[in-house]
Amino acid sequence: MEALQYWIQGFAVATLPMNLLYAFIGCVLGTLIGVLPGLGPAAGTAILIPVTFSLDPIGGIIMLAAIYYGAMYGGTITSVLVNVPGEAASVITCLDGYQMAKQGRAGPALGIAAIGSFIGGTFATLALMVVSLPLANFALRFGPPEVFSLLVVGLSLVTGLSGRSLLAALIMTLFGLMLAMIGMDPVRGAPRFTFGIPPLYDGIGFIPVVMGLFGVGEILLSMEAPVLEVIKTKLTDLLPKREEWKVSTGAIGRGTIIGFFLGIIPGIGAIIPTFLAYAVEKKVSKHPEKFGTGVIEGVASPETANNSYANGAMVPLLTLGIPGYPTLAVLMGAFIIHGLTPGPFLFKERPDVVWGLIASLSLGNVMLLILNLPLVGLWAKLLEIRYQYLYPGILLFCILGAYSLNQSVFDVGVMVAFGVLGYIFRKLDWPLAPTVLALILGPMMERALRTSLEMSGGDLSILFTRPISAVLLIAAAIVLLTPAVRLLGRRAGKD
Amino acid sequence: MKGRFVISLIFAFMTAIVGSAYTADYPTKPITLMVPYPAGGSSDVGARIVAAIAEKQIGQPIVVVNKAGAGGQVGWTELARQKADGYFLGGINLPHLLTAVLDPERKAVFKAEDIVPIISQALDPTTISVRPDSPWKTLKDLIEDAKKRPGQIPAGIVGYLQDDEIGYFQFAEAAGVELRRVYFDGAAPAITALLGKHVDLLFCTVADNYTQWKAGRIRMLTIMDKERTKFYPDLPTTAELGYPTVISASTRGIAGPKGIPDPILKKLYDVFKNAMMTKEHMDRLENAGMPVKIMVGEEFVKYYWESYKVAKKWVDHVRKK
Repeated sequence: MEALQYWIQGFAVATLPMNLLYAFIGCVLGTLIGVLPGLGPAAGTAILIPVTFSLDPIGGIIMLAAIYYGAMYGGTITSVLVNVPGEAASVITCLDGYQMAKQGRAGPALGIAAIGSFIGGTFATLALMVVSLPLANFALRFGPPEVFSLLVVGLSLVTGLSGRSLLAALIMTLFGLMLAMIGMDPVRGAPRFTFGIPPLYDGIGFIPVVMGLFGVGEILLSMEAPVLEVIKTKLTDLLPKREEWKVSTGAIGRGTIIGFFLGIIPGIGAIIPTFLAYAVEKKVSKHPEKFGTGVIEGVASPETANNSYANGAMVPLLTLGIPGYPTLAVLMGAFIIHGLTPGPFLFKERPDVVWGLIASLSLGNVMLLILNLPLVGLWAKLLEIRYQYLYPGILLFCILGAYSLNQSVFDVGVMVAFGVLGYIFRKLDWPLAPTVLALILGPMMERALRTSLEMSGGDLSILFTRPISAVLLIAAAIVLLTPAVRLLGRRAGKD
Repeated sequence: MKGRFVISLIFAFMTAIVGSAYTADYPTKPITLMVPYPAGGSSDVGARIVAAIAEKQIGQPIVVVNKAGAGGQVGWTELARQKADGYFLGGINLPHLLTAVLDPERKAVFKAEDIVPIISQALDPTTISVRPDSPWKTLKDLIEDAKKRPGQIPAGIVGYLQDDEIGYFQFAEAAGVELRRVYFDGAAPAITALLGKHVDLLFCTVADNYTQWKAGRIRMLTIMDKERTKFYPDLPTTAELGYPTVISASTRGIAGPKGIPDPILKKLYDVFKNAMMTKEHMDRLENAGMPVKIMVGEEFVKYYWESYKVAKKWVDHVRKK
């Protein structure tokens, strides 16, 4: 009942004309970013953070959140029309979505994706509303040792699940943790690894790094990409046929559940829920052999799952202050820039922000449905803009944005340097998500570990003797060791 | 003596001709008020409240900019090297600024005398907070328990070598106890840890715990001041309880770089004092749980150097260990 009351309060905040406008602008920008191949949601939110500076915290965060899930929607359009996912979570949509487009059925593919996303997003928002308050209260039981262990789990999942090579992922995680050590000692304030360079006293800025790795890096890479072939198709009939509705309903339901629950676990990332949803759909289907030839449930389920995931992933961010996904890490950076610390106390101190955001998520889903269904043709037109006109503008925007963070040229330098690094890492196929998450979680981890040790008087056993913490550490060990054990097993088998 | 008189005459004359443009007419352009903490924090809120009122009186905009980083050190480094023409002022927090200068680990590139205090805005005393169900009903209960198990009771401290830890040192020395110090990065995580029973008591200020106290989530044992605060009229002070040497607070004010000409300083004293005395300022700070304390010019400078002595004692104490 308490949640309902807060929710109504949240709606009062979210429906303020200015906040509606911010959410709308965010949805449009987000869809735009999702449509432009090469610019994912993480890059988009990072690039657009400076735009939200002048807004009040609620408006700014509502807009960024709208960009985030707008991009989730937008990514689908390119997957279906050009077989290039606009963002990673739409990769699997290419399989059946592009096939449908080739058969002249791009309309229903995009239609069901928008409808599924809407339903998944809405249900996940409702679930978020129900679970977040009890979870925020439960989170009070999370002391520094539990927080440390949970962060270890999150980083292990990101490391263990991203990319093909565990070694590369580990290197990237450690790289991020090392970057996180630069700057002031979080307890005593002594400068570390700063080499006497004053801007480094405050550490390497998270936002310029993300803008570089994701934004500039992706733009550099896109310059090599060939001009895309857009499937010319009439987008008149967007609604699926009657028999397609029947299969889609189940697919959307399953996608919602899978997405939301995987979203709650920090570190899973947005890709796995979509793959899992697709796999489940194939399992339960009566005609699994047809998957990949343009079946509608192969679009409906993963697309639902990715939006449901986007909302579910808000749970650990809002209740524990732990972002499970690079885009959410950017969103967390935005909270901090606006002077708000996500975590259980935010629910108590700024219920207007938390519930305003949650309510605006539901409103945003409606906006996106309206924006996507009739305007899908317009978005598709954008795909025909040539990169050479588009990207110099985006690059300029990035540079201005990085400078405006602290009026510091140093930040611009950091962004450019990480842009080049991002390009190299992409070429090497080394995952970027672990670095980004380690950079934002590193200082939290260090602080939690040091506080734990202060609590125990320097005794490390505090991490293993507290039950929640012990369970979490065992889970982390399983995540990291499983691939290693499997690899060893395979080697032993060869000998 | 005579020479100095002549020099001051010449100076007065020069100021009259050359300087009239920048002293008598001051300010002729917008004034920057730098806050060394992020936007939205209590230092930022306090600065924005007073700036909004003072700019109406001074006839030029007072632009609040945030130069956050390194626990205030980034902003203060900037403040210390600015031109002393009265157009760049900064928020200062004591003893934070002083321990940043005094602790060699912090490698500060400016000295305490490079910054000249102008006016104080709030003096926020340190308290000892516990959970409502804590077995310690009074400070005496805590001291007796702490003597039985020295170094065992986990006590939260908001900020290394800041007012809360200095308050702890003073308390530990006066009462002859030792607690296990656990440091937090700001009041919010510290209070979370107190409520989650990860620490059993917490050293934090009135502004830190006022909203939590109003919500009935915490209770306090004492406040480290000579007089009771109107925020907690029933809360006994350390002085009342027999520990008059345990006096600690986080004090917030406005300062400038060394060398601002006297006429400008006087104008700033007047403008900020008038702004802070307004009912609007008083009410808005009180709502935020910030106890107003206005010390102008000399009085604040004196307080600054007294705080310096106290801070030095405890920084040296820590360095010796």
